[in-house]
Amino acid sequence: MKRHLFAIALVAALGAYVEGQQAPPGGATTKAEGTVLKNKAPVNKDLLRVKLPKPQEADLSNGVHLIFLEDRRTPQVNFSMIIDGAGGYYDPAGIPGLAGFTATLMREGTTTKTSEQISEQLDRLASAVSVNSGITSPSATVNGNGLTNNIDTVLALMADVLMNPSFPQTEIDRFKARTRALLMQQRTQPGFLASERLNKVIYGDHPMARVSATPASLEALTRDALVEFHKTHFVPDRAVLGVTGDMTFEQVKAKAEAAFAGWKKSGAALPAQTEAAALSGPSVSLVVRPNSVQTSLRVGTQSIERKDPDFFPLTVANRILGGPFGRLFEHLREQKGYTYGANSFFSSSRIRGAWTASTDVRSEVTDPALTDLLAEIKQMRDVPVPAKDLDNAKRAIVGSFALLLENPNAILANYIDRHFYGLPADYWDTYASKIEAVTAADVQRVAQKYWTPERLQIVAVGDLAKVEPALKKLGTVQVFDADGNPISK
Amino acid sequence: MFRPFRAGLVFALLAVVSAGAADGPVIKFTDVKLKNGLRVIISEDHTAPTVSVAVNYYVGSADERKGRTGFAHLFEHMMFKGSENVGPGEHPALIFTNGGSMNGTTNQDRTLYYETVPANQIELALFLEADRMKSLDINKANLDNQRGAVQEERRLRMDNQPYGKTFEVTGEQAYDNPAYKHSVIGSMEDLSAANVDDVATFFKTYYAPNNAVLSIVGDVDTKKTMALIEKYFGAIARQPDPKRPDLTEPPHTAERRSTIEDPLARLPRLDVSWIVPPAQSADSPALDVLSDVLSSGRSSRINQVVVREKQLATSAGAFAADSKGPGLFSAFAMVAPGKKVEEVEAAIYEEIEKVKNGPIAAWEIEKAHNGARRNQAAQATSTLARAVQLGEYAMFYNDPNLINTRTDKILKVTAADVQRVAKKYLTRENRSVVITLPKAAPPKGGQ
Repeated sequence: MKRHLFAIALVAALGAYVEGQQAPPGGATTKAEGTVLKNKAPVNKDLLRVKLPKPQEADLSNGVHLIFLEDRRTPQVNFSMIIDGAGGYYDPAGIPGLAGFTATLMREGTTTKTSEQISEQLDRLASAVSVNSGITSPSATVNGNGLTNNIDTVLALMADVLMNPSFPQTEIDRFKARTRALLMQQRTQPGFLASERLNKVIYGDHPMARVSATPASLEALTRDALVEFHKTHFVPDRAVLGVTGDMTFEQVKAKAEAAFAGWKKSGAALPAQTEAAALSGPSVSLVVRPNSVQTSLRVGTQSIERKDPDFFPLTVANRILGGPFGRLFEHLREQKGYTYGANSFFSSSRIRGAWTASTDVRSEVTDPALTDLLAEIKQMRDVPVPAKDLDNAKRAIVGSFALLLENPNAILANYIDRHFYGLPADYWDTYASKIEAVTAADVQRVAQKYWTPERLQIVAVGDLAKVEPALKKLGTVQVFDADGNPISK
Repeated sequence: MFRPFRAGLVFALLAVVSAGAADGPVIKFTDVKLKNGLRVIISEDHTAPTVSVAVNYYVGSADERKGRTGFAHLFEHMMFKGSENVGPGEHPALIFTNGGSMNGTTNQDRTLYYETVPANQIELALFLEADRMKSLDINKANLDNQRGAVQEERRLRMDNQPYGKTFEVTGEQAYDNPAYKHSVIGSMEDLSAANVDDVATFFKTYYAPNNAVLSIVGDVDTKKTMALIEKYFGAIARQPDPKRPDLTEPPHTAERRSTIEDPLARLPRLDVSWIVPPAQSADSPALDVLSDVLSSGRSSRINQVVVREKQLATSAGAFAADSKGPGLFSAFAMVAPGKKVEEVEAAIYEEIEKVKNGPIAAWEIEKAHNGARRNQAAQATSTLARAVQLGEYAMFYNDPNLINTRTDKILKVTAADVQRVAKKYLTRENRSVVITLPKAAPPKGGQ
């Protein structure tokens, strides 16, 4: 594991900004000026308008939909098989994590190869095959990538892992031991504890509330359950094969057709996804994490499904509030110095996703930081955004499409989304104009619709004594320990 | 100023790369110095309408004086708080508003600022970088504000994280030379002590054109870009060349060892560090391949034996860090529940001894060779990655062409080389061991 210059240096080194203070002497909080525009810099007024390259698409004979973007810059190819219906969303009731267990263990041996043989072959070629399944995602992904001249080997291994996993009992036992420890370790992370609690208050008992497998579901895991989940869910009926790289469409089509020829449709319908119950009101939760020196603050709520027309105004509203150098960052960090970062994001899929604002602040300023965070959300509801803020946010969103052209995999992801959510064929061609059409009234409307006080769920992770008084001002506080158990007080 | 094809000009046009080496295209670039000492490297790539600008300053935490640890990074934050023609926060605001992205980052040896923008905004990016190189706006309110942000960054990454303290102790124990001994983030006390005079002095000393490399990769015209660079950077005054810190590490003659308790952790952790020569030394490629054999991919020895077969650790690995001075070759392991940290430590040393005494399979060496080829190919997918690397190679080694030749060095490494460097550096006398044990939290109220 070499520390490759770039990947690690930029992730592990200290940066000025996340994408995501000791009180000065005297203990007072300094309020700095925040952002000031002198408007002397030579900005090119023309926004570089780009057209995303069009993918080539075809259906393979077993029903898999192929989406391909040619990229000749480097001698590499990347295959991603996205299997709708094999994600954690479809975990059987009471066995959260089964889809993820299946995905991980598919890579641990096939009917003709041990886990070691697969690893040695891939590592020798500096290639990779992996299987992933997010705990609330409707789909699982089998990925294979390598240099062009090895791609036949990679593709064969990828297909073998996808179609013929053998789930050896020794690998299941090893996996259980390792995962037991990981389930324990993740509880040391304030971010995990915050997500666990926030998802619970946003989604209740709905599958979208899950953030992780549980010790109970891990212990209950059997080889039979893995075999059954794989057989039932890893089927080509609704799969999409996304490919980028150094090949022609004809080559990719022929290779994919041959590699996945034995993968047959099941004919079974995909179970419908259901919406979570509507929120019943606001809530305030505290997860007690002893020895915390920061409070991890989260304010979240239910958002929208991907096809909702509010997607565009919410995208703009969220950018203004919690995007890079948005109001949360400007206020909580650049003016007050409470935090290293403050941002918000929303997710959306075939069903309603979530919206979350996040910041981690030193324990001592939990109260003013939370007050300011809620005040910024309130301002979005109460005051129409000034034209300048609106224009800058829209320009940033539209302008950033140029940078996508360096990253065919990101462009491909857009086209996969288009297919997956049944968006119109010209969706990405009209995206910029739809963003530009958003008005200040639209932004205020969605802020009032989604960010009302009655919908906001507040979660804090940190030191009990330092955090509880601030939360009590906002309502009845439900208190939990770091294992997720309620603490009755 | 920019004077093409005159004496004293460094001009790189690339030699043919030897057969069988790099996959992917040879990266061509121009390499010149302005009169004020600013080194400028430009590499045209017209595959996407984007351009990345990297400004590397030759100053990092190794240059910090006693009582001011963390200052190089704190200063990096100040570089976003305004200059003569740019308001506080205006730099990021303009870059993002115009479809770009940007950041800064600090390590032991250098401070890097960068942006990637749509190609028609190259002038904006150059103007912003030049204005802060020339005329940083230094005031106490901004310093106090960013001190707050940086102290929160320390809490976020270290003080509120399990094993955060481990990371700091590892460096403190492994090095004797103060340059690399302390963490880049620095201590809370030292961050609190920093004042505006420190900022002004640091700026004048290190943030000079002759102490920086400007590298640009993307959809630009070299000649037009040089004219813009001359316009914006040409008149920035040269400063006396700063004194470089002495990075030499005296030989280590006995194992160092300590055990710390961590109230935020739930599993024991082992960290072992050996001192190795600076990056780009003669032995560096072999040490990189050694780390591949031990730890690259699932087939690697530490993963296969310590994690999978013996199940002593939930994760474990080894890596060779890149640094201008003596670096650390590190091994780490998260101890599996119910296992003893001593067992894990013994198992890792056993794998290292097996490498020393052979055999190493041909496929293990091939893995490292192909890994280097793949990295060489992958760098062509990001203008920013190339801009950053060209700048660092020029600044540290006076050889930006390493971007094209470094793979060849890995391809020459043999199994015998790997065994030789393992025997030479991964010794008991040269190692520093830190064991982190979970400390049960005292009972809190409310339970």
